Amino acid sequence: MRLTRKQLVGGAAASVLAAGGIYRLVDELTEPPTRTASGSVRPEQHLLDGVRVVRDNGVEVLVPPLHHEVVTAKLRVGASPSELHDARQNLEAALTQLDERFAATPSGLGVTVAWGLPYFSEYVPAQAERYLPVDLRATAARGETVRVLEDAIRFPSDQDSTRLETNDLAVLLRSDSLDHIAEGAATLFDDHDALVRVTSIRKGFVGGASEGGPGLPKQMALAAGIQGAELIPDGAQLFLGFTSTQKAGLGPSKIANLETLGYADLGPSGYFAHGTHLHLSHLFEDLAAWYQVFDFQERLDTTFRPGLVASPETQTVAQGPKDVQDERHVRHDYERHRRIGHSGSVQPASRLARDVVGPDGTRYPKGTAVPQRADFNTLDNPFFWTSEPSRDAYAEAPSAGLHFVIFNPTSDDFRRTRLAMDGVLPGGRLTFETGSRGQGFNSVLSTTHRQNFLVPPRAHRSFPLAELSA
Amino acid sequence: MKRRIASVAIVVAIGAIAVVVGAAFGSWAWGADEESSSVATVEEVESPPVCARSQRGSWQKLANEIRAPVYCPSWLPSPLVGQFGGRFFNGRSVDPDRSYLVSFVWFERSLGIVNEVHVNLRGYPGTTRIPACEDTLTVAGKTVRTRIPCFSDKRGTKRIGGATVTVYTANQGADQWHVLYAWRRNGTLYTLSEHVAEPYGVEEVISHLDRMMRRLVLVPPSA
Repeated sequence: MRLTRKQLVGGAAASVLAAGGIYRLVDELTEPPTRTASGSVRPEQHLLDGVRVVRDNGVEVLVPPLHHEVVTAKLRVGASPSELHDARQNLEAALTQLDERFAATPSGLGVTVAWGLPYFSEYVPAQAERYLPVDLRATAARGETVRVLEDAIRFPSDQDSTRLETNDLAVLLRSDSLDHIAEGAATLFDDHDALVRVTSIRKGFVGGASEGGPGLPKQMALAAGIQGAELIPDGAQLFLGFTSTQKAGLGPSKIANLETLGYADLGPSGYFAHGTHLHLSHLFEDLAAWYQVFDFQERLDTTFRPGLVASPETQTVAQGPKDVQDERHVRHDYERHRRIGHSGSVQPASRLARDVVGPDGTRYPKGTAVPQRADFNTLDNPFFWTSEPSRDAYAEAPSAGLHFVIFNPTSDDFRRTRLAMDGVLPGGRLTFETGSRGQGFNSVLSTTHRQNFLVPPRAHRSFPLAELSA
Repeated sequence: MKRRIASVAIVVAIGAIAVVVGAAFGSWAWGADEESSSVATVEEVESPPVCARSQRGSWQKLANEIRAPVYCPSWLPSPLVGQFGGRFFNGRSVDPDRSYLVSFVWFERSLGIVNEVHVNLRGYPGTTRIPACEDTLTVAGKTVRTRIPCFSDKRGTKRIGGATVTVYTANQGADQWHVLYAWRRNGTLYTLSEHVAEPYGVEEVISHLDRMMRRLVLVPPSA
């Protein structure tokens, strides 16, 4: 039976997918940044070409796409090989159509399809058992086999209410054009038969001030009437006022690939080579507290490291290998100040502890960042649309937040980094009371949802492993 | 954090307007000069600020006690009334260094929403330095105390009510969550601040502070 478009995407989601809502305002508030037009088709889904680099405060900064959208879904398709085969063909055809229509650049459309554990365990369990890479580092540390994809966990600073999601897939759409994103979402979710039930639509923005002006976070927060919006600095890339896409603070090129750092055993055929891991979460940000309870120095201390010196109104702080804190520094800060900085605390886990040469011969020096962030601010509360408003505590009133999107080589790698943010370091845990200002960021953040996904390489992005026999 | 209630649809509709307001508001602390503005309310044109007879005695007593002029507010945001000992009076304190704090507050909790209008007036006779506050952080049984400026995150200056005020948005102690105006007169630092909380957002608070500044009445010591 062929489902109607409305049935396909879960009723109201059909109309919502194409709707821009408040995010249409982005296009009225800023011009798309100047971009190079072309991009190559990489084996990786998660890498974008044509990302411009600008300098701010003497630091190289990547200019991310203005618009972002994540659509999560559960599959409606049956688990029989023939049904999976057909579904795979359909999805791949839609993705190919988008590849032909748009370059994988900010001026075109970046499409990243990621798959959750429920997909692997319910649809291709036998194949997953054989082909899902093993995280060698985590396996050695925990004394049991650990795959590169694990269920998300609640971290020490999370509330009990933080929801651990069980979506089958998530699609990340990135572009300077909201129309491109709408077309991408419509192509993937409107035009298929009985394939998926959309569970959430998450939208947002980032930047918008690379060529001057107040920037999107401030203007959008003002437009939405968010408390504290007036206090966001002009030019801020994100609501919290600091630049997060310093080139040296993000993992370069293929470093977050499953195969690059040797964390994973890719198995007999290297099926998932050029793939990576995606963590998706949503968190609310209390902007009024951030800008009224924390002064600039405290915001600097808590975002980077205690005692950091920077002139007032600095937004971009160097985060190169020489600026990295190791665990000894973080512990010293804790002993002396009873504080840790966000960047400083995660760096012992997020930066390379030694030089690494990747399988393609690329040398990654000690101190190089591993995670590749693709997070974006949002006014969703917590989502733009959800199939289960009550479960997700959905509200129409806009609320300042962040859809956190990050690519790490494995679930365990993300877990280590996020635990470090809570003061859980390899050498032992730094104790903080829940919500303590000593943990900086965490006292103004409130995480509502989390899930981990595996991002297959482009060649296997549609229903990975389904083409293999069980 | 209290959030304004507005539907996305409404926000979209008003978005463009709000941005225009926001853009205009962006200049609130960056050199806005009352004297360069030709806009004045009828009230301001017709009636110079006067410290109400019922309040004058209390302010005079304070000025005499600290041996320095104090400022009597002839206008406070609704619903506050600047009556010492009145319904909204939240206290008056004088420290050994003669610095003072006078506070008026209205507070109401309804349906889980806290509404608060809170205004503080301060003076630091004989000094124009930003005072230092103690920031206390207790983590895992250890308390760390650091000295930090009581008024921080300077957002520019503006000339208003005959004074050059500096605007601070991250403040400590009784002024936490307040937007604060600070100015100097004859070697004394004075401040006026209002809490940013429902029912008033930052822009309303700024508007209130501007009006309060224009309506302050200097009360010198009589002794």
